[in-house]
Amino acid sequence: MKRHQALNVNGEEYDIEIEPNRLLLHALRDDIGLTGTKEGCSIGVCGACSVIVGGRLVSSCLTLAVACQGKEITTIEGLAKDGKLHPLQQAFLEYGGFQCGICTPGQIIAAKALLDSNPHPTEEEIKEWMSGNLCRCTGYYKIFESIMAVVQNKVRAEDLTARERREARIQSLGVYKSSS
Amino acid sequence: MVTFDYLEPKSLEEACALLNEHGDDARLIAGGTALIIMMRQRLLNPRVVISLTSIPNFDYITFDAKDGLRLGAGARHRDIELAKPVHEHYPLLHETFRKVAQPRIRNMGTIGGNLVQGDPLTDPGASLIALDAEVTLKNAGGQRVIPVEKFFVDYYQTDLQPGEILTEIHVPPSPPGLAWAHIKFLPRSLEDFATVGVALTMRLGGDRCEDIRLAFNSVAPIIMRAKRAEEVLRGQKIDDDRVGKMAEVASTEVDPMDDNRGSAEYKRELVRVLVRRAVNQALDRASAAKPSGRQAPAPA
Repeated sequence: MKRHQALNVNGEEYDIEIEPNRLLLHALRDDIGLTGTKEGCSIGVCGACSVIVGGRLVSSCLTLAVACQGKEITTIEGLAKDGKLHPLQQAFLEYGGFQCGICTPGQIIAAKALLDSNPHPTEEEIKEWMSGNLCRCTGYYKIFESIMAVVQNKVRAEDLTARERREARIQSLGVYKSSS
Repeated sequence: MVTFDYLEPKSLEEACALLNEHGDDARLIAGGTALIIMMRQRLLNPRVVISLTSIPNFDYITFDAKDGLRLGAGARHRDIELAKPVHEHYPLLHETFRKVAQPRIRNMGTIGGNLVQGDPLTDPGASLIALDAEVTLKNAGGQRVIPVEKFFVDYYQTDLQPGEILTEIHVPPSPPGLAWAHIKFLPRSLEDFATVGVALTMRLGGDRCEDIRLAFNSVAPIIMRAKRAEEVLRGQKIDDDRVGKMAEVASTEVDPMDDNRGSAEYKRELVRVLVRRAVNQALDRASAAKPSGRQAPAPA
């Protein structure tokens, strides 16, 4: 039987009507419309659906939405603030931390959960933690480098908006001038 | 996925009452990592899912030097892995839990949920058997306590009776200098189940093995203790011959099956190798922990 369910996602309250068997993954994607979180293996192995619930990194494909009452949920959409990317997002851009991109939201959320609890992880700690996020393009070195770049504070600190960043990047490449 | 009603009791008593009321139609859920997969694959079709996550203080981890370690059944693998008393007093458990799946799944799955699933491929049971742990099973009328090694009955079957909830795991204090080893032999990458899992504890007296507990996962329908193999070494001088004999007996005592992690014969051979390796690791660790040079003065 459907029930009203309040979910706190990225600081916003959403009131949705769902069956108790609704998975958090599908509630996020289909009921709320936040499609950044991806469905991969559906059995908790691949990490594409990683989200943070109540401070813990979890697989949203193995989490019932009804079990998330009153808990803060963070998805990839909650990382950029006021048009400014999270340092991890910026690092994945600058260090080529993604290829096809489908595992990327999960990778970035997993890395965020790690840095939230351990801002200066060792290389081994990063590798162990990220072992739960698979990349079928096998772009693991670049993912690792992207996270290391944040740990070592190498990501540019300017508070540029996404648009300003794009402009700066285009200019630095010297390929062509942006028309707008 | 299958459809069900979702109930969130606020106490163990209430949960027991709901279990009695709904009987076979009900399934308990805690971390969800096992149950949700089984429901998505339609292996289980409960009409009612009773969540244990709203029961207060169901995930405690407490240690007392006299009493040992007590884990609430709702304690998550990751919290057990990181708990200070586990790290300090039960290095075997710390080592075991850090090898379970990967951190995200350890963040979700609970120790109680792991045990009641009765999945012979999972890691914690063997180490709990090697440490002589016991579980508390509660129902509306009372509770009973049984050793973990008696809890596993058959493939995905445990001694948990209808109406019962596994509420606590108790690990007795380890004798000082307990030698131990844990080996998780993996077929491929880190997050897979073990091809063979070995947990070993030994109480040493000089070059003799005073007592030993040897347990396996992934090589039988249940997580099992290898009692016949233990007998080869218990009370005996530890040398290569005897350890080799124990490994031989262990390889006949296990009952593996062919699967995508290897053939039964391959797993028996692995048992033969890994038992010797586990004993060596345990002895190396024990001799590294000993104070070098002269012996500590005897207590006055």
